[in-house]
Order: sequence, then C-alpha cells, then structure tokens
Amino acid sequence: MTTLIMIDQPPYGAWTGREALDMAFSLAAFDQSASLLFTGPGVNWLRQTQHAGGIEQKSVEKNLAAAPIFGMDAILADRAACIAYGLDEHSLIEGVTLVDADADLLTDYDHTAFAG
Amino acid sequence: MSETFTLVITGAPYSSQAPQTALGFAKAAVDAGHQIDRVFLYGDGVHLASALCAPPSDETHWPDEWSRFLTQHKIPGVACIASALRRGLVNETEQKRYELPSANLRAPFEIAGLGEWVEGRIKSTRTLYFHAGD
Repeated sequence: MTTLIMIDQPPYGAWTGREALDMAFSLAAFDQSASLLFTGPGVNWLRQTQHAGGIEQKSVEKNLAAAPIFGMDAILADRAACIAYGLDEHSLIEGVTLVDADADLLTDYDHTAFAG
Repeated sequence: MSETFTLVITGAPYSSQAPQTALGFAKAAVDAGHQIDRVFLYGDGVHLASALCAPPSDETHWPDEWSRFLTQHKIPGVACIASALRRGLVNETEQKRYELPSANLRAPFEIAGLGEWVEGRIKSTRTLYFHAGD
C-alpha cells in the first residue's frame, strides 16, 4: 500500500504541515510506503537556509532532513509551484524530485491524505 | 459488500463541521451494515474528546453525541497523543506525567500514537478524512 501525504500550506503560520509530516514519518516507521508531495505555498517547506528562530519556531528544514533516515520513499514538489515561488535547484534542499502534481501522479498511489 | 472504515477527524467541533459530518456518515454506515474499525482524532479534531465542552443547551453537544455513538457500537475512539498534549487534552496518565492540574479526556476516548491510525488504515477497507475545510 503506497501513500502520498500532501502538504499545501506554508511551513510557518499553520500547524497542519507539521502534523502531515508526522503522519508520513509514522507510516515509514511502521514500514509502510510513504512519500511527501509539496504543492502550492507548501513548496516553501523545501527552501534552503530557513531561519525560523526570529519567530521562535524550529526550522522545518531539519524535520525534512530526517525523511530519508525514517525511510520515506520520496520528497516530491510540484514544478509549477516551485516556479511560482522562485525555487530552483539552487534554492531547494537536497533530495527533492520535481513533478507535475496532476491526476496522473495521484494514480501512482493507493492512498492520498492531508493532515487538515 | 460490507466495508470496514477508519474515520479520521481533523476539524474541531464548533469551529468546523467535521465532527458532525463524520457522525452522520458513521451512523449511516453502521445502519447499512458496515463496520467502523476505529475513529482517530488528529490535529484540532482532538477537541472532540474534551470532557469540558459545555455548549448552550439549545445546541447539539457533539462530543456527547460521539461518546454515546462510540459506546453504543463499541467502536474505539482514539485521540492522537501529540496533537492532544499540544492542545491541552490529557487523560489521568498524562496529567500525572506532566504534573497538570486536571485531566479532561471524555470516555470512551483514549489517547495513543499515530500507530493507531497506521493500523486502522491497514485493517480497514477504506479510510476517510473529515477536515475543517478551511
């Protein structure tokens, strides 16, 4: 059973993205196939060199860096959203695969889920 | 064919319609002969398991309605521990662990980890999510 956890909200200002990440990590921890897809403003999760200390939050970059350790299959980002937010291979964190987040992509997974 | 459902509620009562919609679905599913394996409260959905909600008497008491439904049909209701602790929803064990002034988890809900959600997904034929919609 393959699952795609989708994050469509920016990293700071809402908690649902972090809770979506926890869902993906839990699946991986229980040996369930899981990937993450970032779409819309959610692609900002993948921006390099985030300094969240100014708003007394932890940088989500560190959370994401743990994804391969937890056994996450892939970190996907919607290509069009990355362009819209000025993200390219130089500004994205390592290990991100650009995809077209369309209906075809979703058919590759048995389940898709949002945290909220 | 009979289905087995895991229901995930992420919207809080009185700020979203998620618990109400989920209860309507759950009642219809049970009436139609389907099984509900478990109900998992995640994110703001954990507020549904608060024993301290006191809505006006002319409004539906959604936590109470859910408690009665779960008890009547012997369906496990689980609130995610990480979501619950962040939002001030604790049972007596967590109250003692964190030395908090009181516990407020309503019966028959329990507090457990996301593993309950993972297990529900594996055991059920379908997992449905009820979000706040914002």
